[in-house]
Amino acid sequence: MGDEGGSLRVAFVTPRFGPEVMGGAEAAARQLAMHLVGECGWPVEVFTTCATDHITWDDVLAPGDSTDHGVTVHRFRSASGRRPEFYDLDARLRPAPEQATPEQARRWLELNGPVTPDLVDAVAASDAEVVCFYPYLYYPTVVGMERVGAPRVLHPAAHDEPALYLPVFGPTFTGADALCYHTAAERRLLERVHPVAQVPQIVLGLGVADVVRGGRRGGAVTGLGDRPYVVSVGRVDDHKGSSMLAAFFRTYKERHPGPLALVFVGPVATTIPPHEDIVVTGVLDEADKGDVVADAVVSVSPSALESFSLVVLEAWAQSVPVVVNATCDPTREHCQRSGGGLWFGSYAEFEVVLERLLADPDLRATLARRGHAYVERYYQWPELIARYAAFLGAVRARAEAGTAPARQKPPMPTTGLARRSPPVEP
Amino acid sequence: MSTPDAAELAYVEQVRREIDDEVRRRGAGDLPPQVERELDELFLRHAPHGRGGAGLADMLRQVDAAVFIDPMVPIASRRPAGAMVKRGLRSVNLWYQRWVTYQVSAFATAVSRALHVLDLQVSELRRAAEDSAPPPAVVVESPELARAGAWWAGPVGDELAGTAGRVLHAACGDGWLVQALAARGLDAYGVDPRPGAVRAHELDTLDLRQEEVGAHLAAVEPGALGAVVLSGVVDGAAHGERLRLVERAVRAVGADGTVVLHSLGRARFDAEDAPPEADLVPARPYRPATWGALLGDMGMAAEVRAAPSGGDYLVVARRTAPAS
Repeated sequence: MGDEGGSLRVAFVTPRFGPEVMGGAEAAARQLAMHLVGECGWPVEVFTTCATDHITWDDVLAPGDSTDHGVTVHRFRSASGRRPEFYDLDARLRPAPEQATPEQARRWLELNGPVTPDLVDAVAASDAEVVCFYPYLYYPTVVGMERVGAPRVLHPAAHDEPALYLPVFGPTFTGADALCYHTAAERRLLERVHPVAQVPQIVLGLGVADVVRGGRRGGAVTGLGDRPYVVSVGRVDDHKGSSMLAAFFRTYKERHPGPLALVFVGPVATTIPPHEDIVVTGVLDEADKGDVVADAVVSVSPSALESFSLVVLEAWAQSVPVVVNATCDPTREHCQRSGGGLWFGSYAEFEVVLERLLADPDLRATLARRGHAYVERYYQWPELIARYAAFLGAVRARAEAGTAPARQKPPMPTTGLARRSPPVEP
Repeated sequence: MSTPDAAELAYVEQVRREIDDEVRRRGAGDLPPQVERELDELFLRHAPHGRGGAGLADMLRQVDAAVFIDPMVPIASRRPAGAMVKRGLRSVNLWYQRWVTYQVSAFATAVSRALHVLDLQVSELRRAAEDSAPPPAVVVESPELARAGAWWAGPVGDELAGTAGRVLHAACGDGWLVQALAARGLDAYGVDPRPGAVRAHELDTLDLRQEEVGAHLAAVEPGALGAVVLSGVVDGAAHGERLRLVERAVRAVGADGTVVLHSLGRARFDAEDAPPEADLVPARPYRPATWGALLGDMGMAAEVRAAPSGGDYLVVARRTAPAS
């Protein structure tokens, strides 16, 4: 199997899939699927929806089968997407999600969408030898894991959000045949919330692709010319800390007048108030993005809710030091393990960190060097996919040997939302 | 002599300490209070849900940010005369709004103050508890007893042959016993609390984790493991912690499960060539009979095997009564 020369039929279940999908977990599933095909030559299929938007789950892509970089993709319509009642229930459960009843939690799951009974039927009927679910949060994973007979590997992609504490997810985590984490911090979080320590696991993460550069100065791409700048890459979104970073930076500039600018690169979900020192580029192609990151003084990841954060590693791949949100354990763990970044837990700390970094080129060089070495050691695709392939092989072998724990399928209440979807058009 | 790698890490750590010192030096009052509150509120708006440790302090920052109720309603408007109308309405109502918001703010301030006092007292209690707590457990093991070929590895493998379910070894070190058990067809994994103990194996396929053993066992679903092997960890713990560790191990194994303890004998513990950690622990090793009695109280029947040298021993315990 895998690097031992054998082959394994692997299926991925993920609610969105494709190059047009912006989302860390879904993009990670796509990367793993493509690399298993490309580097191991394994047959890999994906069961997913027709949606690209994780709020509405509207069917916008055509249902049916297609191929993406050698990966066979089966798309299914959703019986329902996120429903208006979701917001009321979410608001009620959010303060103490661990207190929700199983019925409330199951209803939360179904109202959140996408409800995909056809997808679940299809994956249950597939001949895959291992089925990988990614991420934990949605109906296809929770219900799919209840139905699938093949060994199930769950990639939780979990962060410390209220939903993680809902009782509907407990059996999903403890019932997995194996867990694949992005970071040790994610594992600690899961073990703190659910009794999963006994489940076979691996801390894998994702590989960092080769750096793509367009050969331009970052200032030429952003229009900032020779001004120094801090960059923040990823969805520009209040939930990702973008509004907070913009406010922190505005305050910093009031107290530290000068040429320093802030550049946001990524799709815009939250409007950042206009400011003469803040540039929002929107989505850039890989070459332009590479140029902008490469010339940044520092890359900032303001998000508190990450399970991995590829953008942190991509900055290090370009030898750019990083600053992360102190309350985000996975990105902070990257910084602590590598010695390649600093963190902030308040405006005061943000200010001191930025002052220090801007004034100390030796520190920036040290952080950049250490971050780069960390990426080289742990996050190169060939080594990473070989570990993953060996892990999947071991999961399969454990199931064949009968040493996997017996399946526990606690009866779950249903709310009637999981009705049949319309038949898929040929 | 430190390596370049260690020297760089120490330098980055030093920078971190200097940043912390500078943040403390500037302290509160460096920013206008309203600005500080708004920035705090923004920072905490999407903070992780269940952060351990810093949770109360973070929540108090949120409370503080929301204490002041501003009676000056915003009057910006998209309509030409909207701002003027709003300004008029605000002026008319301001005396009333002020009266109400003053009382709400006063109440919120009192609540916030009470919570801060509570936080202070809890912090003092925590400090006092930490001061009086026994030192954290260390791993006490002799090198010749924690590597392939150790006398007790074979008997453990024999005892656990055919075990249904996973086998946990703690402290697993470099995974020597995990590998030996896996070679016998067992589904074994390991946990070690020592920083760096499993680092060399981060990139291979053994399931080895750097975690506190007690915390790990607490996160195991009751009855989910086939066996737990504890070596080096019970001797390094205080009495209460030893008991908790073993209770958790017993809880973690199923009805047919096995708990194995490897312990140094008292003479070995007191010998001149004992592991240095032996001087640092708050309790001496138990006599084999003590483990037999303790495990018996937990519904386990224990069998003891002494090392050929007589310096250490193995306890193998199996359940005698149905799991509660």
